[in-house]
Amino acid sequence: MRSAIIEEIYNLMKENGNVYFLTGDLGYDVLEKIEAEFPNRFYNMGVAEQNMIGVASGLALSGKKVFVFSITPFVTMRCYEQIRNDVCFHDLDITILGIGSGLSYGILSSTHFSLEDIAILRPLPNMTIFSPVDEIEARLGMRYFKNHHHPLYIRIGKKKEEIIYKQPYDFQYGKGVIIRPGKDVVIFATGPIIGEALSAADLLKEKNIEAEIINLHTIKPLDNDLIISESQGKKLIITLEEHGIIGGLGSAVSEVIGEYLPGNRVMRFGVEDKPINIVGSQTFLRKQFCLDSIGIMDTILKELKTY
Amino acid sequence: MENNTGLTNLAREIREDIIAAVVPNNSHHIGCSLSIVEILTYLYFKKLRIFPKEPKNPERDIFILSKGHAALALYCILQKKGFFKEKLLDTYDQDNSSFPEHASSGVPGVELSTGSLGHGLPVGVGFALSFKNDKKNNQVTVLMSDGELDEGSNWEAIMFAGQHRLDNLTIVIDLNGFQGYGETKKVIDLSPIGKKISEFGWNVYETDGHNFDELTKTFDGFEKNNRPNCIIAKTVKGKGVPYFEGKFEAHYMKLDQETKDKILSEL
Repeated sequence: MRSAIIEEIYNLMKENGNVYFLTGDLGYDVLEKIEAEFPNRFYNMGVAEQNMIGVASGLALSGKKVFVFSITPFVTMRCYEQIRNDVCFHDLDITILGIGSGLSYGILSSTHFSLEDIAILRPLPNMTIFSPVDEIEARLGMRYFKNHHHPLYIRIGKKKEEIIYKQPYDFQYGKGVIIRPGKDVVIFATGPIIGEALSAADLLKEKNIEAEIINLHTIKPLDNDLIISESQGKKLIITLEEHGIIGGLGSAVSEVIGEYLPGNRVMRFGVEDKPINIVGSQTFLRKQFCLDSIGIMDTILKELKTY
Repeated sequence: MENNTGLTNLAREIREDIIAAVVPNNSHHIGCSLSIVEILTYLYFKKLRIFPKEPKNPERDIFILSKGHAALALYCILQKKGFFKEKLLDTYDQDNSSFPEHASSGVPGVELSTGSLGHGLPVGVGFALSFKNDKKNNQVTVLMSDGELDEGSNWEAIMFAGQHRLDNLTIVIDLNGFQGYGETKKVIDLSPIGKKISEFGWNVYETDGHNFDELTKTFDGFEKNNRPNCIIAKTVKGKGVPYFEGKFEAHYMKLDQETKDKILSEL
Protein backbone atom coordinates (compact mmCIF):
# COMPACT_ATOMS: atom_id res chain seq x y z
CA MET A 1 0.00 0.00 0.00
CA ARG A 2 2.81 2.38 0.92
CA SER A 3 4.59 1.92 -2.40
CA ALA A 4 1.34 2.30 -4.35
CA ILE A 5 0.64 5.62 -2.65
CA ILE A 6 4.18 6.86 -3.24
CA GLU A 7 3.90 5.89 -6.90
CA GLU A 8 0.66 7.88 -7.23
CA ILE A 9 2.39 10.90 -5.65
CA TYR A 10 5.34 10.46 -8.00
CA ASN A 11 2.94 10.59 -10.96
CA LEU A 12 1.28 13.68 -9.55
CA MET A 13 4.64 15.42 -9.02
CA LYS A 14 5.49 14.64 -12.61
CA GLU A 15 2.37 16.31 -13.95
CA ASN A 16 2.19 19.16 -11.41
CA GLY A 17 5.29 21.24 -10.64
CA ASN A 18 3.58 22.76 -7.63
CA VAL A 19 3.71 19.61 -5.52
CA TYR A 20 6.26 19.27 -2.70
CA PHE A 21 7.27 16.22 -0.68
CA LEU A 22 8.80 16.49 2.81
CA THR A 23 10.05 13.57 4.89
CA GLY A 24 11.09 13.40 8.51
CA ASP A 25 14.26 11.49 7.67
CA LEU A 26 12.50 8.24 6.75
CA GLY A 27 11.61 6.45 3.53
CA TYR A 28 14.58 4.19 2.81
CA ASP A 29 13.93 2.13 -0.33
CA VAL A 30 10.65 3.96 -0.97
CA LEU A 31 11.35 7.63 -1.71
CA GLU A 32 14.56 7.45 -3.74
CA LYS A 33 12.84 7.91 -7.09
CA ILE A 34 11.03 11.07 -5.99
CA GLU A 35 14.22 12.43 -4.46
CA ALA A 36 16.24 11.80 -7.60
CA GLU A 37 13.73 13.21 -10.01
CA PHE A 38 12.46 16.25 -8.11
CA PRO A 39 15.45 17.52 -6.09
CA ASN A 40 13.94 20.99 -5.69
CA ARG A 41 10.62 19.72 -4.42
CA PHE A 42 11.78 16.89 -2.21
CA TYR A 43 13.25 17.75 1.19
CA ASN A 44 14.55 15.58 3.96
CA MET A 45 13.64 17.83 6.88
CA GLY A 46 15.74 15.88 9.35
CA VAL A 47 14.34 14.40 12.53
CA ALA A 48 12.33 17.53 13.25
CA GLU A 49 8.61 17.06 12.77
CA GLN A 50 7.42 20.35 14.26
CA ASN A 51 9.51 22.27 11.76
CA MET A 52 8.42 19.90 8.99
CA ILE A 53 4.73 20.73 9.51
CA GLY A 54 5.51 24.44 9.89
CA VAL A 55 7.54 24.49 6.67
CA ALA A 56 4.79 22.55 4.91
CA SER A 57 2.37 25.23 6.07
CA GLY A 58 4.52 28.06 4.72
CA LEU A 59 4.82 26.23 1.40
CA ALA A 60 1.07 25.66 1.28
CA LEU A 61 0.33 29.30 2.18
CA SER A 62 2.46 30.30 -0.80
CA GLY A 63 0.34 28.10 -3.08
CA LYS A 64 1.99 24.68 -3.02
CA LYS A 65 0.42 21.27 -2.50
CA VAL A 66 2.49 19.48 0.13
CA PHE A 67 2.89 15.87 1.26
CA VAL A 68 4.59 15.11 4.58
CA PHE A 69 5.84 11.62 5.35
CA SER A 70 6.89 9.74 8.46
CA ILE A 71 5.93 6.98 10.85
CA THR A 72 2.48 7.82 12.21
CA PRO A 73 3.18 8.85 15.83
CA PHE A 74 6.07 11.06 14.75
CA VAL A 75 4.12 12.89 12.06
CA THR A 76 0.91 13.29 14.06
CA MET A 77 1.66 13.48 17.79
CA ARG A 78 5.07 15.10 17.93
CA CYS A 79 3.75 18.02 15.89
CA TYR A 80 0.09 17.95 16.86
CA GLU A 81 -0.24 21.64 17.64
CA GLN A 82 1.34 22.56 14.31
CA ILE A 83 -1.27 20.37 12.60
CA ARG A 84 -4.04 22.02 14.61
CA ASN A 85 -3.01 25.70 14.41
CA ASP A 86 -1.02 25.97 11.21
CA VAL A 87 -2.58 23.31 8.96
CA CYS A 88 -6.18 22.94 10.10
CA PHE A 89 -7.05 26.42 11.36
CA HIS A 90 -5.67 27.82 8.09
CA ASP A 91 -7.30 25.05 6.00
CA LEU A 92 -4.12 24.26 4.05
CA ASP A 93 -3.47 21.87 1.17
CA ILE A 94 -1.31 19.47 3.17
CA THR A 95 -1.50 15.68 3.18
CA ILE A 96 -0.05 13.82 6.14
CA LEU A 97 1.18 10.37 5.15
CA GLY A 98 1.24 8.31 8.35
CA ILE A 99 3.03 5.02 7.86
CA GLY A 100 2.43 1.92 9.97
CA SER A 101 -1.28 1.92 10.79
CA GLY A 102 -2.30 0.07 13.94
CA LEU A 103 0.07 -2.74 14.85
CA SER A 104 1.82 -3.04 11.51
CA TYR A 105 5.22 -2.23 13.05
CA GLY A 106 4.71 -5.37 15.15
CA ILE A 107 8.22 -6.14 16.39
CA LEU A 108 9.39 -2.52 16.61
CA SER A 109 7.34 -2.06 19.80
CA SER A 110 4.68 0.30 21.00
CA THR A 111 6.55 3.57 20.33
CA HIS A 112 5.94 2.84 16.65
CA PHE A 113 2.33 1.64 16.84
CA SER A 114 -0.44 3.95 15.77
CA LEU A 115 -3.41 3.32 18.01
CA GLU A 116 -4.47 6.87 18.84
CA ASP A 117 -4.12 8.70 15.52
CA ILE A 118 -7.80 8.62 14.55
CA ALA A 119 -8.77 9.74 18.04
CA ILE A 120 -6.53 12.80 17.99
CA LEU A 121 -7.03 13.87 14.38
CA ARG A 122 -10.80 13.41 14.17
CA PRO A 123 -11.68 16.51 16.26
CA LEU A 124 -9.60 18.89 14.12
CA PRO A 125 -11.62 21.23 11.92
CA ASN A 126 -11.14 20.90 8.13
CA MET A 127 -9.38 17.53 8.56
CA THR A 128 -10.27 14.55 6.38
CA ILE A 129 -9.20 11.05 7.44
CA PHE A 130 -8.72 8.45 4.72
CA SER A 131 -8.01 4.88 5.76
CA PRO A 132 -7.68 2.65 2.70
CA VAL A 133 -8.14 -1.10 2.96
CA ASP A 134 -5.67 -2.10 0.27
CA GLU A 135 -3.49 -0.96 -2.59
CA ILE A 136 -6.35 -0.66 -5.09
CA GLU A 137 -8.41 1.55 -2.82
CA ALA A 138 -5.32 3.57 -1.86
CA ARG A 139 -4.72 4.38 -5.53
CA LEU A 140 -8.37 5.30 -6.11
CA GLY A 141 -8.25 7.63 -3.12
CA MET A 142 -5.00 9.25 -4.22
CA ARG A 143 -6.47 9.99 -7.64
CA TYR A 144 -9.55 11.52 -6.05
CA PHE A 145 -7.56 13.60 -3.55
CA LYS A 146 -5.41 15.16 -6.29
CA ASN A 147 -8.07 17.85 -6.46
CA HIS A 148 -8.71 18.07 -2.72
CA HIS A 149 -7.04 21.21 -1.38
CA HIS A 150 -7.60 20.82 2.35
CA PRO A 151 -5.94 19.03 5.27
CA LEU A 152 -5.87 15.28 4.73
CA TYR A 153 -4.49 12.45 6.83
CA ILE A 154 -3.89 9.10 5.17
CA ARG A 155 -3.66 6.12 7.47
CA ILE A 156 -1.27 3.86 5.63
CA GLY A 157 -0.31 0.29 6.46
CA LYS A 158 3.17 -0.78 5.54
CA LYS A 159 3.50 -3.34 2.85
CA LYS A 160 2.03 -6.56 1.53
CA GLU A 161 -1.46 -5.98 2.88
CA GLU A 162 -4.09 -8.47 1.79
CA ILE A 163 -5.77 -7.44 -1.46
CA ILE A 164 -9.51 -7.01 -0.88
CA TYR A 165 -10.55 -5.40 -4.14
CA LYS A 166 -9.74 -7.37 -7.26
CA GLN A 167 -10.35 -4.35 -9.44
CA PRO A 168 -11.02 -0.61 -9.18
CA TYR A 169 -14.52 0.42 -8.14
CA ASP A 170 -16.49 3.66 -8.06
CA PHE A 171 -14.68 5.35 -5.14
CA GLN A 172 -16.63 8.17 -3.57
CA TYR A 173 -15.38 10.65 -0.99
CA GLY A 174 -17.04 10.16 2.38
CA LYS A 175 -19.12 7.20 1.20
CA GLY A 176 -18.78 3.79 2.79
CA VAL A 177 -18.89 0.60 0.73
CA ILE A 178 -20.87 -2.58 1.41
CA ILE A 179 -18.32 -5.22 0.55
CA ARG A 180 -20.35 -8.19 1.72
CA PRO A 181 -24.10 -8.21 2.28
CA GLY A 182 -25.67 -10.01 5.25
CA LYS A 183 -28.88 -9.78 7.26
CA ASP A 184 -28.01 -10.76 10.84
CA VAL A 185 -25.19 -8.56 12.08
CA VAL A 186 -23.29 -5.61 10.60
CA ILE A 187 -19.58 -4.96 10.96
CA PHE A 188 -18.34 -1.45 10.23
CA ALA A 189 -14.61 -1.63 9.66
CA THR A 190 -11.72 0.39 8.29
CA GLY A 191 -8.25 -0.32 6.91
CA PRO A 192 -6.47 -3.58 6.13
CA ILE A 193 -8.06 -5.37 9.09
CA ILE A 194 -11.18 -5.69 6.94
CA GLY A 195 -9.51 -8.88 5.69
CA GLU A 196 -10.05 -10.38 9.15
CA ALA A 197 -13.70 -9.28 9.09
CA LEU A 198 -14.27 -11.04 5.78
CA SER A 199 -12.73 -14.27 7.08
CA ALA A 200 -14.79 -13.97 10.25
CA ALA A 201 -17.90 -13.61 8.11
CA ASP A 202 -17.01 -16.88 6.33
CA LEU A 203 -16.70 -18.63 9.68
CA LEU A 204 -19.96 -17.14 10.96
CA LYS A 205 -21.74 -18.31 7.84
CA GLU A 206 -20.92 -21.90 8.81
CA LYS A 207 -22.86 -21.19 12.00
CA ASN A 208 -25.76 -19.79 9.96
CA ILE A 209 -25.06 -16.20 10.83
CA GLU A 210 -24.89 -13.69 8.01
CA ALA A 211 -22.54 -10.78 8.65
CA GLU A 212 -22.68 -7.66 6.52
CA ILE A 213 -19.27 -6.01 6.11
CA ILE A 214 -19.01 -2.29 5.48
CA ASN A 215 -15.77 -0.57 4.55
CA LEU A 216 -15.65 2.94 5.98
CA HIS A 217 -12.55 4.16 4.14
CA THR A 218 -13.28 7.77 5.04
CA ILE A 219 -13.54 8.17 8.80
CA LYS A 220 -14.04 11.90 8.58
CA PRO A 221 -16.40 12.85 7.10
CA LEU A 222 -18.24 9.71 8.14
CA ASP A 223 -21.01 8.16 6.06
CA ASN A 224 -23.79 8.64 8.62
CA ASP A 225 -26.57 7.69 6.20
CA LEU A 226 -25.03 4.31 5.45
CA ILE A 227 -24.35 3.63 9.13
CA ILE A 228 -27.97 4.38 10.00
CA SER A 229 -29.53 2.43 7.12
CA GLU A 230 -27.37 -0.69 7.51
CA SER A 231 -27.70 -0.80 11.31
CA GLN A 232 -31.46 -0.96 11.27
CA GLY A 233 -32.92 -4.44 11.77
CA LYS A 234 -29.58 -6.05 12.70
CA LYS A 235 -29.16 -8.24 15.77
CA LEU A 236 -25.83 -6.65 16.51
CA ILE A 237 -23.94 -3.52 15.43
CA ILE A 238 -20.18 -4.09 15.45
CA THR A 239 -17.15 -1.93 14.75
CA LEU A 240 -13.69 -3.22 13.92
CA GLU A 241 -10.44 -1.29 13.66
CA GLU A 242 -6.74 -1.71 14.30
CA HIS A 243 -6.74 1.26 16.67
CA GLY A 244 -7.26 1.81 20.37
CA ILE A 245 -10.75 1.23 21.67
CA ILE A 246 -11.12 4.90 22.65
CA GLY A 247 -11.77 7.63 20.14
CA GLY A 248 -11.46 5.78 16.84
CA LEU A 249 -13.96 4.37 14.37
CA GLY A 250 -15.88 2.61 17.17
CA SER A 251 -16.39 5.88 18.97
CA ALA A 252 -17.34 7.65 15.75
CA VAL A 253 -19.97 5.03 14.84
CA SER A 254 -21.25 5.00 18.43
CA GLU A 255 -21.83 8.74 18.22
CA VAL A 256 -23.99 8.25 15.13
CA ILE A 257 -25.93 5.35 16.64
CA GLY A 258 -26.39 7.21 19.92
CA GLU A 259 -27.73 10.20 18.09
CA TYR A 260 -29.93 8.58 15.45
CA LEU A 261 -30.70 5.05 16.68
CA PRO A 262 -30.65 5.39 20.46
CA GLY A 263 -31.18 2.22 22.46
CA ASN A 264 -28.94 0.07 20.25
CA ARG A 265 -25.76 -1.45 21.60
CA VAL A 266 -22.53 -1.03 19.64
CA MET A 267 -19.91 -3.71 20.14
CA ARG A 268 -16.44 -2.26 19.51
CA PHE A 269 -13.42 -4.30 18.47
CA GLY A 270 -10.13 -2.49 19.00
CA VAL A 271 -6.94 -2.59 21.04
CA GLU A 272 -7.57 -2.42 24.77
CA ASP A 273 -6.75 0.72 26.74
CA LYS A 274 -3.45 -0.44 28.25
CA PRO A 275 0.25 0.01 27.52
CA ILE A 276 1.41 -2.76 25.22
CA ASN A 277 4.43 -4.61 26.51
CA ILE A 278 4.50 -7.47 24.05
CA VAL A 279 5.79 -7.50 20.50
CA GLY A 280 5.42 -9.86 17.58
CA SER A 281 4.17 -10.03 14.04
CA GLN A 282 1.04 -8.12 13.14
CA THR A 283 -0.78 -11.46 12.83
CA PHE A 284 0.36 -12.51 16.30
CA LEU A 285 -0.60 -9.18 17.88
CA ARG A 286 -4.04 -9.16 16.27
CA LYS A 287 -4.65 -12.56 17.85
CA GLN A 288 -3.61 -11.25 21.28
CA PHE A 289 -6.23 -8.53 21.08
CA CYS A 290 -9.00 -10.75 19.62
CA LEU A 291 -8.77 -8.87 16.33
CA ASP A 292 -8.14 -11.96 14.18
CA SER A 293 -10.94 -13.72 12.33
CA ILE A 294 -11.35 -16.47 14.93
CA GLY A 295 -11.29 -14.03 17.83
CA ILE A 296 -13.86 -11.86 16.10
CA MET A 297 -16.11 -14.84 15.36
CA ASP A 298 -15.90 -16.22 18.91
CA THR A 299 -16.68 -12.88 20.51
CA ILE A 300 -19.64 -12.29 18.22
CA LEU A 301 -21.04 -15.79 18.87
CA LYS A 302 -20.72 -15.31 22.62
CA GLU A 303 -22.47 -11.99 22.40
CA LEU A 304 -25.32 -13.36 20.28
CA LYS A 305 -25.96 -16.13 22.80
CA THR A 306 -26.69 -13.62 25.51
CA TYR A 307 -29.56 -12.21 23.44
CA MET B 1 21.80 59.49 7.74
CA GLU B 2 18.41 60.47 6.47
CA ASN B 3 15.92 62.23 8.69
CA ASN B 4 13.61 59.84 10.44
CA THR B 5 11.31 62.44 12.05
CA GLY B 6 8.41 61.11 10.00
CA LEU B 7 8.86 57.63 11.40
CA THR B 8 9.23 58.96 14.94
CA ASN B 9 5.91 60.79 14.62
CA LEU B 10 4.27 57.70 13.18
CA ALA B 11 5.54 55.61 16.07
CA ARG B 12 4.02 58.05 18.54
CA GLU B 13 0.70 57.86 16.71
CA ILE B 14 0.83 54.07 16.74
CA ARG B 15 1.39 54.14 20.53
CA GLU B 16 -1.63 56.40 20.82
CA ASP B 17 -3.68 53.99 18.73
CA ILE B 18 -2.56 51.06 20.88
CA ILE B 19 -3.60 52.76 24.10
CA ALA B 20 -6.79 54.05 22.52
CA ALA B 21 -7.85 50.53 21.47
CA VAL B 22 -7.30 49.07 24.94
CA VAL B 23 -10.53 48.09 26.65
CA PRO B 24 -10.34 49.48 30.20
CA ASN B 25 -9.99 46.79 32.88
CA ASN B 26 -9.99 44.05 30.24
CA SER B 27 -7.15 44.09 27.67
CA HIS B 28 -3.66 42.91 28.52
CA HIS B 29 -0.49 42.31 26.44
CA ILE B 30 0.03 46.04 26.24
CA GLY B 31 3.70 46.17 27.28
CA CYS B 32 4.75 43.61 24.67
CA SER B 33 2.88 45.55 21.98
CA LEU B 34 4.62 48.79 22.93
CA SER B 35 8.10 47.25 22.70
CA ILE B 36 7.81 46.47 18.97
CA VAL B 37 6.32 49.75 17.75
CA GLU B 38 9.52 51.09 16.13
CA ILE B 39 10.36 47.73 14.54
CA LEU B 40 6.90 47.44 12.97
CA THR B 41 6.82 51.10 11.95
CA TYR B 42 10.18 50.75 10.24
CA LEU B 43 9.18 47.52 8.46
CA TYR B 44 5.74 48.62 7.28
CA PHE B 45 6.56 52.22 6.40
CA LYS B 46 10.02 51.77 4.98
CA LYS B 47 11.00 48.23 4.24
CA LEU B 48 8.30 45.78 3.26
CA ARG B 49 6.79 45.57 -0.18
CA ILE B 50 3.09 45.41 0.66
CA PHE B 51 -0.21 46.12 -1.03
CA PRO B 52 -2.83 47.32 1.48
CA LYS B 53 -5.60 47.21 -1.11
CA GLU B 54 -4.59 43.71 -2.23
CA PRO B 55 -3.33 42.01 0.93
CA LYS B 56 -2.71 38.72 -0.91
CA ASN B 57 -0.83 40.17 -3.88
CA PRO B 58 1.66 37.44 -4.89
CA GLU B 59 4.49 39.98 -5.15
CA ARG B 60 4.21 40.98 -1.49
CA ASP B 61 6.83 40.47 1.16
CA ILE B 62 5.77 38.21 4.00
CA PHE B 63 5.73 39.40 7.59
CA ILE B 64 4.85 36.96 10.37
CA LEU B 65 4.30 38.06 13.94
CA SER B 66 5.38 34.95 15.78
CA LYS B 67 4.90 36.64 19.14
CA GLY B 68 1.18 36.67 18.45
CA HIS B 69 0.38 38.20 21.83
CA ALA B 70 1.55 41.57 20.50
CA ALA B 71 -1.14 41.57 17.82
CA LEU B 72 -2.51 44.91 18.96
CA ALA B 73 0.60 46.69 17.68
CA LEU B 74 0.32 44.91 14.32
CA TYR B 75 -3.39 45.71 13.97
CA CYS B 76 -2.66 49.39 14.64
CA ILE B 77 0.05 49.39 11.98
CA LEU B 78 -2.18 47.65 9.43
CA GLN B 79 -4.96 50.10 10.22
CA LYS B 80 -2.61 53.01 9.66
CA LYS B 81 -1.50 51.49 6.34
CA GLY B 82 -5.13 51.22 5.24
CA PHE B 83 -5.50 47.43 5.14
CA PHE B 84 -8.99 47.82 6.58
CA LYS B 85 -11.41 50.57 7.50
CA GLU B 86 -10.20 52.39 10.58
CA LYS B 87 -13.39 51.85 12.51
CA LEU B 88 -12.93 48.10 12.73
CA LEU B 89 -10.43 48.47 15.54
CA ASP B 90 -13.13 50.05 17.70
CA THR B 91 -14.23 46.48 18.44
CA TYR B 92 -10.82 45.22 19.63
CA ASP B 93 -11.14 42.75 22.52
CA GLN B 94 -14.91 43.06 22.59
CA ASP B 95 -17.64 40.46 22.14
CA ASN B 96 -17.91 39.20 18.56
CA SER B 97 -14.81 41.15 17.47
CA SER B 98 -12.74 40.04 14.48
CA PHE B 99 -9.66 41.39 16.31
CA PRO B 100 -8.65 38.85 18.94
CA GLU B 101 -5.85 39.63 21.38
CA HIS B 102 -3.62 37.11 19.59
CA ALA B 103 -2.91 37.66 15.90
CA SER B 104 -5.61 36.35 13.58
CA SER B 105 -5.26 35.73 9.86
CA GLY B 106 -8.89 36.75 9.60
CA VAL B 107 -7.60 40.34 9.74
CA PRO B 108 -6.54 41.64 6.30
CA GLY B 109 -2.75 41.80 6.19
CA VAL B 110 -2.11 39.22 8.92
CA GLU B 111 -0.39 36.27 7.22
CA LEU B 112 -0.65 33.71 10.00
CA SER B 113 -2.74 33.26 13.13
CA THR B 114 -0.32 32.97 16.02
CA GLY B 115 -0.55 32.83 19.77
CA SER B 116 1.11 29.58 20.68
CA LEU B 117 4.82 30.35 20.50
CA GLY B 118 7.34 28.71 18.19
CA HIS B 119 5.02 28.48 15.16
CA GLY B 120 5.92 31.55 13.12
CA LEU B 121 9.50 30.76 12.17
CA PRO B 122 8.93 27.29 10.66
CA VAL B 123 6.10 28.73 8.57
CA GLY B 124 8.35 31.61 7.53
CA VAL B 125 10.98 29.07 6.47
CA GLY B 126 8.36 27.37 4.27
CA PHE B 127 7.54 30.69 2.56
CA ALA B 128 11.24 31.45 2.07
CA LEU B 129 11.92 28.01 0.60
CA SER B 130 9.01 28.38 -1.80
CA PHE B 131 10.12 31.83 -3.03
CA LYS B 132 13.72 30.75 -3.40
CA ASN B 133 12.85 27.69 -5.45
CA ASP B 134 10.54 29.76 -7.64
CA LYS B 135 13.35 32.33 -8.08
CA LYS B 136 11.10 35.07 -6.72
CA ASN B 137 12.35 38.11 -4.85
CA ASN B 138 9.77 38.20 -2.05
CA GLN B 139 11.43 38.64 1.34
CA VAL B 140 10.25 36.94 4.53
CA THR B 141 10.53 38.57 7.96
CA VAL B 142 9.53 36.90 11.22
CA LEU B 143 9.32 38.86 14.47
CA MET B 144 9.87 36.75 17.57
CA SER B 145 10.15 37.29 21.27
CA ASP B 146 13.25 36.36 23.23
CA GLY B 147 11.27 34.12 25.60
CA GLU B 148 9.84 32.32 22.58
CA LEU B 149 13.29 30.95 21.79
CA ASP B 150 12.76 28.36 24.54
CA GLU B 151 10.56 26.48 22.04
CA GLY B 152 12.56 23.73 20.31
CA SER B 153 10.62 24.17 17.06
CA ASN B 154 12.50 27.46 16.54
CA TRP B 155 15.85 25.72 16.71
CA GLU B 156 14.67 23.07 14.25
CA ALA B 157 13.80 25.90 11.89
CA ILE B 158 17.03 27.83 12.54
CA MET B 159 19.07 24.72 11.69
CA PHE B 160 17.10 24.03 8.51
CA ALA B 161 17.26 27.65 7.26
CA GLY B 162 21.03 27.73 7.85
CA GLN B 163 21.54 24.41 6.08
CA HIS B 164 19.56 25.56 3.03
CA ARG B 165 21.01 29.08 3.02
CA LEU B 166 17.68 30.85 2.97
CA ASP B 167 19.03 34.36 2.49
CA ASN B 168 15.55 35.71 1.78
CA LEU B 169 14.61 35.08 5.42
CA THR B 170 15.14 37.51 8.30
CA ILE B 171 14.21 37.05 11.92
CA VAL B 172 13.97 39.94 14.33
CA ILE B 173 14.25 38.98 17.98
CA ASP B 174 12.51 41.41 20.30
CA LEU B 175 14.99 41.20 23.15
CA ASN B 176 13.06 42.82 25.98
CA GLY B 177 14.46 40.50 28.64
CA PHE B 178 11.18 39.27 30.05
CA GLN B 179 9.09 36.18 29.44
CA GLY B 180 5.81 34.83 30.76
CA TYR B 181 6.76 34.21 34.36
CA GLY B 182 10.08 35.87 34.90
CA GLU B 183 13.24 37.43 33.56
CA THR B 184 14.62 35.60 30.56
CA LYS B 185 18.11 35.41 32.03
CA LYS B 186 16.73 33.76 35.18
CA VAL B 187 14.38 31.32 33.43
CA ILE B 188 16.48 29.99 30.54
CA ASP B 189 19.50 32.16 29.90
CA LEU B 190 20.17 31.89 26.18
CA SER B 191 22.84 34.57 26.06
CA PRO B 192 24.81 34.96 23.94
CA ILE B 193 21.85 34.25 21.64
CA GLY B 194 23.62 35.75 18.64
CA LYS B 195 26.56 33.39 18.92
CA LYS B 196 24.28 30.37 19.13
CA ILE B 197 22.34 31.36 16.04
CA SER B 198 25.37 32.36 13.99
CA GLU B 199 26.90 28.93 14.62
CA PHE B 200 24.01 27.49 12.60
CA GLY B 201 25.02 29.49 9.54
CA TRP B 202 23.22 32.78 10.04
CA ASN B 203 24.38 36.38 9.86
CA VAL B 204 23.63 38.00 13.20
CA TYR B 205 23.32 41.74 13.86
CA GLU B 206 22.57 43.60 17.04
CA THR B 207 20.67 46.83 17.08
CA ASP B 208 18.62 49.21 19.20
CA GLY B 209 15.03 48.22 18.47
CA HIS B 210 13.75 51.72 19.19
CA ASN B 211 16.19 53.69 17.05
CA PHE B 212 15.21 54.22 13.41
CA ASP B 213 18.72 55.20 12.32
CA GLU B 214 20.10 51.97 13.72
CA LEU B 215 17.27 49.86 12.35
CA THR B 216 17.81 51.36 8.89
CA LYS B 217 21.55 50.83 9.04
CA THR B 218 21.13 47.22 10.14
CA PHE B 219 18.51 46.22 7.58
CA ASP B 220 20.40 47.97 4.78
CA GLY B 221 23.72 46.48 5.78
CA PHE B 222 23.05 42.76 5.39
CA GLU B 223 26.03 40.86 4.04
CA LYS B 224 25.47 39.21 0.68
CA ASN B 225 26.72 35.76 1.55
CA ASN B 226 23.71 33.47 1.03
CA ARG B 227 22.89 33.19 4.70
CA PRO B 228 19.66 33.94 6.53
CA ASN B 229 19.75 37.05 8.70
CA CYS B 230 19.00 37.52 12.36
CA ILE B 231 18.58 40.89 14.00
CA ILE B 232 18.72 41.01 17.75
CA ALA B 233 16.77 44.13 18.59
CA LYS B 234 17.28 45.36 22.12
CA THR B 235 14.01 46.77 23.34
CA VAL B 236 12.34 47.94 26.52
CA LYS B 237 9.07 46.33 27.50
CA GLY B 238 6.32 48.95 27.59
CA LYS B 239 8.55 51.46 25.76
CA GLY B 240 7.21 54.98 25.46
CA VAL B 241 4.62 54.77 28.23
CA PRO B 242 6.13 55.27 31.70
CA TYR B 243 3.23 53.42 33.32
CA PHE B 244 4.45 50.21 31.61
CA GLU B 245 8.07 50.92 30.73
CA GLY B 246 10.62 48.38 31.84
CA LYS B 247 8.19 46.40 33.94
CA PHE B 248 7.80 42.63 33.83
CA GLU B 249 4.12 43.00 34.76
CA ALA B 250 3.53 45.04 31.59
CA HIS B 251 2.62 41.73 29.96
CA TYR B 252 -0.46 41.41 32.17
CA MET B 253 -1.26 44.89 33.53
CA LYS B 254 -4.61 46.33 32.58
CA LEU B 255 -5.61 49.96 32.39
CA ASP B 256 -8.54 51.62 34.06
CA GLN B 257 -10.31 54.43 32.23
CA GLU B 258 -8.62 57.17 34.25
CA THR B 259 -5.08 55.86 33.63
CA LYS B 260 -5.89 55.31 29.97
CA ASP B 261 -7.05 58.92 29.59
CA LYS B 262 -3.99 60.19 31.44
CA ILE B 263 -1.60 58.23 29.21
CA LEU B 264 -3.36 59.44 26.07
CA SER B 265 -3.14 63.05 27.16
CA GLU B 266 0.60 62.65 27.84
CA LEU B 267 1.35 60.97 24.52
